[in-house]
Amino acid sequence: MPHFLMAQAVEKNTLVLGVKYYNDNNAAQHLVISAKSKIDGKFQKIGNIAVKVFITNDSNKNNFIGAGITSERGEFILFIPPSAKTEWVKSPTQNFIAISAANKLYEEARAETTITKAKIKIDTADGKIVNAKLFIKVDTSWQPMAGVEMVLAVKRLDGNLNISETATYTSDSAGAISGEFKRDSLPGDQKGNLILVANIIDNDVYGNVAAEIMVPWGKPLVYTTNYNHRSLFARRGHSPIWLELLAYGIILLVWAVIIYLGFQIRNIIKLGLD
Amino acid sequence: MDKLKEDKIIADLLPQEFGKQGRIWVICLLFFAALGVFAYGRQLYYGLEVTAMRDYASWGIYISNFVFFVAISLVGSLITAVLRLTNVKWSTPLTRIAEIIAVSAITFASLIIIVDMGRPERFYNLFLHGRLQSPIIWDVIVITTYFFISLLLLYFPLLPDLKIMIGFKERNGKWLQKLYEFLGSFWKNTKAQFKITDKAINILAIAIIPVAFSIHTVTSWLFATTYRPGWDSTNFGAYFISGAFLVGAGGVVVAMYIFRTHYKLEKYITNDHFDRMGKVLVLLALLYLYFNFNEFLVPAFKMKKSEEEHLLGLFTGEFAPIFWFAIFTSMFIPIFILLFKKGRRPLPAFIAGILVVVGSWFKRFLIVTPTLLHPFLPMHDVPANYHHYIPTWEEWAIAGGSLAGALLVITFFARIFPIIPIHETIIETESLENEKHF
Repeated sequence: MPHFLMAQAVEKNTLVLGVKYYNDNNAAQHLVISAKSKIDGKFQKIGNIAVKVFITNDSNKNNFIGAGITSERGEFILFIPPSAKTEWVKSPTQNFIAISAANKLYEEARAETTITKAKIKIDTADGKIVNAKLFIKVDTSWQPMAGVEMVLAVKRLDGNLNISETATYTSDSAGAISGEFKRDSLPGDQKGNLILVANIIDNDVYGNVAAEIMVPWGKPLVYTTNYNHRSLFARRGHSPIWLELLAYGIILLVWAVIIYLGFQIRNIIKLGLD
Repeated sequence: MDKLKEDKIIADLLPQEFGKQGRIWVICLLFFAALGVFAYGRQLYYGLEVTAMRDYASWGIYISNFVFFVAISLVGSLITAVLRLTNVKWSTPLTRIAEIIAVSAITFASLIIIVDMGRPERFYNLFLHGRLQSPIIWDVIVITTYFFISLLLLYFPLLPDLKIMIGFKERNGKWLQKLYEFLGSFWKNTKAQFKITDKAINILAIAIIPVAFSIHTVTSWLFATTYRPGWDSTNFGAYFISGAFLVGAGGVVVAMYIFRTHYKLEKYITNDHFDRMGKVLVLLALLYLYFNFNEFLVPAFKMKKSEEEHLLGLFTGEFAPIFWFAIFTSMFIPIFILLFKKGRRPLPAFIAGILVVVGSWFKRFLIVTPTLLHPFLPMHDVPANYHHYIPTWEEWAIAGGSLAGALLVITFFARIFPIIPIHETIIETESLENEKHF
């Protein structure tokens, strides 16, 4: 084998794929497929990797549920399609497999994750109490699940803020957790609505599960703008009154002098003609 | 005063036809002005792309030229107003030179602003949609005002001279005679007319000072109200005004020498005038030097990171040759020449004046462009030429054309009107004689 071909073969890196399961608000579930590789001693996100995703197993081509190419951030989202329903309803647990073929830079890679189907119900009670219950699928019914760490939070831009100082709650035998909302005066929407969220984050068994509810516990957002205010930085016609008085006063004064002198020229002309 | 002496003064000071030198001078100026017009035609056709101005150096030699013109125009208020109000009599022969420099400079300052605009046909939007808070609007207003005041200050003292010139019908020729009659046929030398003009000139002399200060302060605020290294200064108004007085006075000294030698006016623009103007120049150069120390020493002492690149660029970097050239030619060398009595004779004073004017032009360039090339945020992902500003031939031609245009206005004015006020000279000579007599 020529030397340069051998060198190419040696340079191939190992690609590590990841599959994460998400169930947001008990609606359409999705997977996040990620790709990373160790370069210069550090794991780096790898883009432009084509990945095929299967449900249950990859031996049956009917289990193929979609494919995607990782973005610059090294991941892509795949919603579980309705065509996967047959496999989905077969079992309370579910297996997902992601496979990328070998290319010039990376060897073939494969990742697999198994989740137990779970859902959260969220509710509120008087005194700004937030209640949530975790149910998991056992055979064909939903059963409460104890001992699972959950988070109660309020949705903010680009992240969730815990509803109190308590970081996590563990579900009791009824699968329930309860926390008091202590984020007073938190700005909400124009009606003061906030979105509360109860979720399980990156759980080995259940993946990422979340449920949301809207509550009017926030401070109504009053939209304020200084667009119409008079200031030195405002738009045209909105300069401060003092500036307008000063500027127009000076302009009028100086131009009054110029006009007066214009009249003096007229007077000189009249005197000459007389 | 006897009639013979009066006739001699009139004969000496009446405008003269261009001689051979004058014609060559005018042809040269016309050539440069035409070249500027041609280059501007190219700029209109191809857009501002023909210039070297890009995203960073968006103000180049056009704005430098604008600041220069505004600065030199300030001399009208210095010679005509400040010296008149302080009862300085020796400046009388220089008033008209100063005023025509002011009028021509302010005219071309306005024009060069339009040249700097990518879409000049939208200029009227400045008036229709201008923000009162913007220094650009203040500049437009104050330049227009200053132009009219300067024009009036040129016109009122000219009226008695127009009457004199109308008397030389055959010498004038048809067109000039018509022009003189249009401008001053109504002037009859009556007491009432003199009373009005004296009052008007006094009003103008008072009014022009705040307007002149405003024009250059506002021009400095175009820069100082922008948060950038080199411009972020509370000192800028005074710094600009002191510099403007200096370049204006330098310009007058240059013009004095040229008019004196070309029109043989040694009896009217005397060595004493050069001596006094030389002293004025030294004073103004020292004043400007003081403001320069303030402007550069204080930020250099602190050497804030954001200012460092800009300051080092001026002191030892890319702009250092121009910086030190400007500092030495506009201040140190003229001060050195004019400190000595021999240096205040016409020729050395003329050379000092030239140095002041040339150095001041480059000083304006240094105020405008290096700052733009040193923004607070580093320049990223831009073509290599965005890091530097080297004007294209079109920019040089337009800038040169505008300077030629301003000189043409002064030249033609001196061809049409007496560059030294005839009537005022007669009156002053008369009063001097009376003083001697008594």
